[in-house]
Amino acid sequence: MDGVRVEANRVASAQARVEALVLEYQTKLTRYVRRMVGDAEAALDLTQDVFLSAHRMLQADPHRKLSGGWLYRAATNAGISFLRRRKILRILPLDRELDRSTWRVDERSAASLDLQAALGHLAPEQSAALLLTSYAGYSSSEAAAILGTTSDAVRQRVCRAMRVLRRVMQEERNS
Amino acid sequence: MMGRVDCARAERLAGTIALAEASDEQRDLYRAHLAGCQRCVDDLGGEREIERTIAVVARARDAESWEPDFRAAFAKGKKRRFAWIYGAVLAVAAVVALAGGRLMQAPQSAAPAAHAISSQEAQAIAALNTQTAPRREGRAESLKFGSPALSTSIVLRVDGRGEPMRCTIAHSSGDPALDESICRTAMHARYLRR
Repeated sequence: MDGVRVEANRVASAQARVEALVLEYQTKLTRYVRRMVGDAEAALDLTQDVFLSAHRMLQADPHRKLSGGWLYRAATNAGISFLRRRKILRILPLDRELDRSTWRVDERSAASLDLQAALGHLAPEQSAALLLTSYAGYSSSEAAAILGTTSDAVRQRVCRAMRVLRRVMQEERNS
Repeated sequence: MMGRVDCARAERLAGTIALAEASDEQRDLYRAHLAGCQRCVDDLGGEREIERTIAVVARARDAESWEPDFRAAFAKGKKRRFAWIYGAVLAVAAVVALAGGRLMQAPQSAAPAAHAISSQEAQAIAALNTQTAPRREGRAESLKFGSPALSTSIVLRVDGRGEPMRCTIAHSSGDPALDESICRTAMHARYLRR
């Protein structure tokens, strides 16, 4: 009986911790993933996968520390995998334009559309660097830890992303 | 002591300035580089230009009002998203039936391989209300109603973990939307060894 009770406590504790993570991070994390992949429904799916991974992990090891950084790392990896798969599919004859229908009308500001257009031209790692720092608010060293790279590499990726963003803005201004 | 910096270093300095992490010395180095490099002036811009460009990201973020509504998404695609919960419930039912000494045959289509989720996890996720709609590309929206039967042959490369790596069309149906939809669906699944 004691074994059953311990197991029940372990499950309840894992669930409570995941619940706290969901409450704190679901909005910002899903928005981050939506920016990265450019699709709200895919972002909802990917974010759910992240929380499910967190749940599995905490159930296996209730004492494991799971921070926001862990969630962002998992979400970033999921987003990068998704974008790579989508890129693979671009070799197919049909290459559909980014579906903007999932974006709210009030979010179609110049800044929002410029950013999304630029993200569409970036390598997934560059998008991740730009979004983790300027969008999610991590420093270059924190973003480097999340991405498993160096701060210099993050700064360089941000610069390259910014160059594309600048070009998109200039094209928009000229048109 | 300030030395000259090359364009690659200038790029990192521009990134540092964009992230508001640059010291005065780094800003001086960047300015000194721009003074002698027209290409970087055109390509990266001065400090104010960098700050103006990067501010777009924060402006876009601050204007966002989208709340990821897991509950609404759940209600919209209820049937499809319930599939794996039904699968988990049926799996539990099968275990209970077997434990009671009775043999119960679980339906073949009960639990999709892509969502091998335990009943505890199913309950946890249900409690968290994070169920989401199925992926957009998994839907058969691209199929035309009433069109004659078409078939597509695909070659799917899967890695050792069952993760699809690449999908190519071996034989097209002639309908690019159908081909794409089939490949997207195949790429979405995880594959298990039998």
